[in-house]
Amino acid sequence: MTSWKELLAERTDPKLVREVDAYENQLTLRRQGKIEEGLFQETRLRRGVYGQRYDNGLRHDGIAQRRLAFPCGDLRKGPETLWDAPGMQRIKIPFGGLDSGQMEVLADVAEEYSDGIGHVTTRQDIQLHYVHIEDTPDLMRRLAAVGITTREACGNTVRNVTACPKAGCCREERFDVTRYAEAAMRFLLGHRDTQDFGRKFKVSFSGCAEEACGMAALNDLGYVAQIDGHGRRGFAVYVGGGLGPVPYQAKLYDPFVPEAQILPLAQAVARIFARHGEKKNRGRARLKFLVHNWGIDSFRAAVREELARLPKDPAWTAYLERPSACAERPVHTGRSLAPTGDIAFEAWRERNVYRQRQPGYAIATVVLPLGDITSRQLRRLAQLARRFSGGHVRTTIDQNIDLRWVAETDLPALHRELQAIGLARPGAGGITDVTACPGTDTCKLGIASSRGLAAELSERLTTRAGALDPSFRQLQIKISGCFNSCGQHHVADLGFYGVSRKIDGATVPHFRAVLGARREHNAHEYGQTVGAIPAKRVPEFVDRLTARYLAERQPEEGFPDFIQRLGKQGLKPLLDELARVPPRAVDRSLYTDWHDAREFNTSDIGVGECAGTVVARIDFDLQEAERLHFEAQIALEAGDYRKADETAYAAMLEAARALVRTDEPDAAEDPDTTVREFRGRFYDTGLFQDRFVGGNFAQHLFRRHTDTERAFTRDDARHLLEETQLFIEAAYACHGRMLEQPRTAVGSPA
Amino acid sequence: MSPAGVTELHRIGVKCLAREAAPLKLVDLIPVFQRWIQAGDFDDLPIDVADYSHVHHGPGVLLVGHSGNYCYEESGGRRGMVYYAKRPVAGGLDTRLAEVAHKALEASRRLAAEAGGLAGLHFPGNELVVFANDRRLAPNTDVAWAALEPPLRTFLERLYPEGYRLAREEDPNERLAAYVSAPGPVALETLLMRLC
Repeated sequence: MTSWKELLAERTDPKLVREVDAYENQLTLRRQGKIEEGLFQETRLRRGVYGQRYDNGLRHDGIAQRRLAFPCGDLRKGPETLWDAPGMQRIKIPFGGLDSGQMEVLADVAEEYSDGIGHVTTRQDIQLHYVHIEDTPDLMRRLAAVGITTREACGNTVRNVTACPKAGCCREERFDVTRYAEAAMRFLLGHRDTQDFGRKFKVSFSGCAEEACGMAALNDLGYVAQIDGHGRRGFAVYVGGGLGPVPYQAKLYDPFVPEAQILPLAQAVARIFARHGEKKNRGRARLKFLVHNWGIDSFRAAVREELARLPKDPAWTAYLERPSACAERPVHTGRSLAPTGDIAFEAWRERNVYRQRQPGYAIATVVLPLGDITSRQLRRLAQLARRFSGGHVRTTIDQNIDLRWVAETDLPALHRELQAIGLARPGAGGITDVTACPGTDTCKLGIASSRGLAAELSERLTTRAGALDPSFRQLQIKISGCFNSCGQHHVADLGFYGVSRKIDGATVPHFRAVLGARREHNAHEYGQTVGAIPAKRVPEFVDRLTARYLAERQPEEGFPDFIQRLGKQGLKPLLDELARVPPRAVDRSLYTDWHDAREFNTSDIGVGECAGTVVARIDFDLQEAERLHFEAQIALEAGDYRKADETAYAAMLEAARALVRTDEPDAAEDPDTTVREFRGRFYDTGLFQDRFVGGNFAQHLFRRHTDTERAFTRDDARHLLEETQLFIEAAYACHGRMLEQPRTAVGSPA
Repeated sequence: MSPAGVTELHRIGVKCLAREAAPLKLVDLIPVFQRWIQAGDFDDLPIDVADYSHVHHGPGVLLVGHSGNYCYEESGGRRGMVYYAKRPVAGGLDTRLAEVAHKALEASRRLAAEAGGLAGLHFPGNELVVFANDRRLAPNTDVAWAALEPPLRTFLERLYPEGYRLAREEDPNERLAAYVSAPGPVALETLLMRLC
């Protein structure tokens, strides 16, 4: 039967085909025990293949911790991760842009390999849960066929490049940042200067300085659109922002960087981060710590020095000049729409419709509860996008989907269609539209059920949404399952993150409240952490605090100002009252979490893969050489001797290149340069020589490189494969010696 | 699509449609499925419970297993118990259809026997949906339907000797699926016996 690989080969970018082929080979090598599990973990993370709760094979079922007897036995896909355990597939959606065809494929793969749900994340990605690792190559092939890559969705890489979902349509923006976000994504994806980070690296683009859509302040590298006094386009650039357990506001690197310089700047920052960022202490490895430790002035000076050293790259401007893959055109002529008198429609219109700067057009926000959408809904939404918004949508960091360029006169029809598929919830971006990370549902680090609490709050608030005061309806709730802030609780009016407390000999789920963030100006002020509240009492806390706000606020006083005025002292009585937990015998309900009947415990918390393992660039490169050697073996077995021979040669070149890169990262990568650089830096210096065989293994590469009259016979190919294996082993050994005794030669050239 | 594709099909699902005397709160299924995991008497390896009660006409509440998932769901606006296989199932296609249907029916029987908040839930047994969750081997095309229909009918004749009606999912974007309805209710125990 024809495989997905065969079915899709002709309509997939050959580069993406090769990438998935390579990944599939790595799976095979790991199954055979030929890749070390830590290295394989970082390899799969860089393909977006992420661990999930219970993947260490242990789960507390409410009575005791049980072993999950997966058929794989001890085969692992990471240091503490069993092969058969279901995992999460993160799919990068640059700037949140999707077309209808991509939505349909996402719907299909969610149905066939996951649980029929696509989950929009707070970084505009889409995640699928409960995916078996052996399904991931086919999943990736199907996505690749519609131009989606999962490359570098996780791991110590440049994560999804986010951007305002209103870009191009916004009334406030300086200009449309879409093509800049797209260019940054293309430029940084797989770039050799982004492969050696100690931690992840997040980039965002914002169209204006005033609104919160791009949230530049919480990214490692944030670009905020500016136009200078001469009408030239550029960006105010911020560096070193981030949430996590201790949130940092990004610092202004430069108030105006011309558009043509944004990519070299990103490259220079990446180089500084790779070279000087922390690699050992995972908790201090983000760029924010480097910027903080050095101070912005020293950091700026180092980046400028690096910029001056960068070899010129045509890609810096070529990517900006490329036509966008996201060319949106409206379907119908824009005409404005007067009030309709339809109560349900007008309630939806109030917060879900944004009038574009282009007269007669609007952005319609589809609220996804907890960021979830079923496969069927996603397919129908793809059809609606074709009909109403030119076949394009954007995911948002509030975990929703925006349809843009909808003619206002089409809005009632769109609303009716959304009602028919259960996607017409009103209140976008307001109090009922609660944001939540996966939390204990699927995340290994989750402490409390962020999604359970979010669902509960959303349901309770929705039932009385009509009666809520307008200033209450516009507040935002964001919830994280732990202090790592994936739910972005620091940038909410009412933020919560999961913690636990030992009470009466048991563990009680709690949420710590983080209140009063100021989201405007790209989230310029994070919320302040107050006390912890038992999980089951958070709805009461929300009710009482907001009631107090409505009753006691001063004229024009916003919620953040009210929280600031109240201060921790003012909040203390309410927190103290709610924090008192009766013994289990009196009220067992507090000892369980939302939407989970098991008695609460924290024994299921595992080792997160977010921080991953720091794997040096050379380890990846040598692994790639091994993978090529494996591919050559397959070609030999298939009788394709020419391919076997050429692939083995490529494997040797890759291993040589791996060593050269440690010395000269900017060396050109053509075979002649690689062999010349390898000879000069490792062979002639004696670094590559083995104590016993001297430089013999290097001769295998030199001979093959100069052999222009080669006959591609079975015997020759087999011999070359043997030699390649020896060369790769020698490269590993050379690297080992370099680590032990830098730059000490152990012999002389043979 | 060649008939060979369909005969290789393993990702099969069966939904046994339910009736509720009063609308059931889907979240009430969470403790039920958690108890099933605690009981430890599944053929499959049960892993976890996933709650999608908040999405419209979605997977409802799932008991995620290694070989397949069980869920009380509401796709198409009709609630029912579904089992769908995720890993290879032994035997020929007819055996696989029977195996998957057995699991769906057995889970339905077990759910209907639950007391408490699930009172009023029953499975008439005369309405099933059989679907292929694999667009490579069994896309929703005329050719694939022609390949699936004969083994499916053989299986259904065993399950409903009193007769049945069969209709295909008409939306080509949705999975290849067969809607099966028998003339009157059939006890789940009877159906399970017919599959033995």
